Amino acid sequence: MFSVKMQTHKIKMQTHNAPLAALSFLLLMVLLVFADLASAAPAQQNKNYPQGVSAINPGADLWREVRQRDLAAQGVTQVKGVDSGVLINVWGDRWAQFRTDKPIKYAPFVLLGVILVLVLFYALRGKVLIEGGLSGRMVKRFTDYERIVHWVLALVFLFLAITGLILLLGRTLLIPLFGQQLFSLLASASKEGHNLFGPIFLVSLIMMVISFARRNIYEKGDLTWLLKGGGFIGKGHVSGGFFNMGEKSWYWMVILVGLLISISGMILVMPNFGQGRIIMEISHVVHVFAAIVLIAVSLGHMYMGSIGTEGSLEAMKSGYVDISWVEAHHDRWARKVKDSGEILSAEEFARQQGRKPGSTDTATE
Amino acid sequence: MIEYLIDGPLWYFSLAVFCIGVVWQLARILFTAGKTDLSVARGSASSGAWRNIFSRFVPHHEIAPQVRVQVVAGYMFHLGLFAVIFFAAPHVIFLEENLLGFGWTPMPHWAFIVASQFAFFGLLILWLRRMLNSVSRLISTLDDHIAAILTFVVMLTGCLALLKGFTELRLLHRFTVELLLIYFPFSCLMHTFTFIPSRAFTGAWFGRRGIDA
Repeated sequence: MFSVKMQTHKIKMQTHNAPLAALSFLLLMVLLVFADLASAAPAQQNKNYPQGVSAINPGADLWREVRQRDLAAQGVTQVKGVDSGVLINVWGDRWAQFRTDKPIKYAPFVLLGVILVLVLFYALRGKVLIEGGLSGRMVKRFTDYERIVHWVLALVFLFLAITGLILLLGRTLLIPLFGQQLFSLLASASKEGHNLFGPIFLVSLIMMVISFARRNIYEKGDLTWLLKGGGFIGKGHVSGGFFNMGEKSWYWMVILVGLLISISGMILVMPNFGQGRIIMEISHVVHVFAAIVLIAVSLGHMYMGSIGTEGSLEAMKSGYVDISWVEAHHDRWARKVKDSGEILSAEEFARQQGRKPGSTDTATE
Repeated sequence: MIEYLIDGPLWYFSLAVFCIGVVWQLARILFTAGKTDLSVARGSASSGAWRNIFSRFVPHHEIAPQVRVQVVAGYMFHLGLFAVIFFAAPHVIFLEENLLGFGWTPMPHWAFIVASQFAFFGLLILWLRRMLNSVSRLISTLDDHIAAILTFVVMLTGCLALLKGFTELRLLHRFTVELLLIYFPFSCLMHTFTFIPSRAFTGAWFGRRGIDA
């Protein structure tokens, strides 16, 4: 009754427009979960007895209670524990079916759709170049510690994404490729790795909050940036501060959706704090949907931060960016930088990076 | 066949290379004849040595702010790895059955998980710092990177084999351990055994001259 057709071509996976669409998508999926799980058609008792049978089966009522067709009823047992009074978990079967019907079925299309959109975007638009090219004069953007925090989070996220996708989609996609034996080995390894690195992701997320939150507070001018699509709508440059609206939105999406993934993951990996099966099922669904959203949008981030925009990757490699790049994308910060006079010449930058000044080995690409 | 090789000949070969290699390297360092110090001793070399061994566990206050990341991540990694190697239940059982003939109480499973997470996190931060800091990157050699990556791979394969349900994963972990044992004596990983003599030598050299190193 709540069938949703996810039209991947309508989901814009550009980093700058992602958050609103992604959050709406996530909320929609959560609604879908509850609607689907709640749609319990009450058991219909067949009152049409075949001719010749004059007595109702005396065991029918008993087995209806046992089967718990109407709702998950708690019984009374001598064993005291979470869900120990539930003989058959009605929701479990429904959850398993939902998992097969929705995330396993649609996640590959979502992710492949994002990749396709990025490939098409690059084919049509190409790399976003700096007008006039890069000057070679560099400005410090990120410290060593900030880059370490970013790359720890990124690498751990990539590992969790790969192992998580193996666990989610492995049965459908990998068993036909590798066979059951090799897949079971891969799945076992992925499960252990995924469980171990999950808490590391949470710690790196907290480090990310501490390092970058202050500069990602929304400020005046950010809404204009959003309305102009980051410069894709209309002509001319769009004003931006140290972080533009797109970067800020991506940051808060990582933090908030990442926290959602981490908390639901912690509930799943530590099932000894009184959470019953239903909480585990809901946590699992939230975990899966949030993870798919974050993986999908992160593909856009990886694209924009590497081959999509000239001069961007250098920020996270050396911590320095070209002043032309700053003027093109973060003009408000460029003014502050020029006033402070903290611009290195090409020769100074090359010397600092341990290269000979004037060497042809460019730092910016 | 592969199982026999990894659990048998390759294990003994790697162990032999490790033991002989470490002893040979240490002997080479300790028995290298140095110049006799003819100056008048102004202080005690031995007390200088002992003092330096322990004082270097904490960075000097003048450079402490600059080395905060390396110190914290370094302790996380080394303490986590030590706990995992010597107090994780599978390792305690392995050491008892294959090497020592006796064992000890391993740490609980949750502590093993926490220790391994500390070790992974610390190593990741240390290696990334080496790559991202321009000075560290320039003075790093291939040996430094191989040591870090090989150690990470050994830890990762061990983590992947935690369930103990697949012989292949256990063999992969054991194989990477054997590679590490063979590589160990010829690499910077020898700092495991040389850091004590190194600190002692520096402390003694300065201590004899009446200087607190």
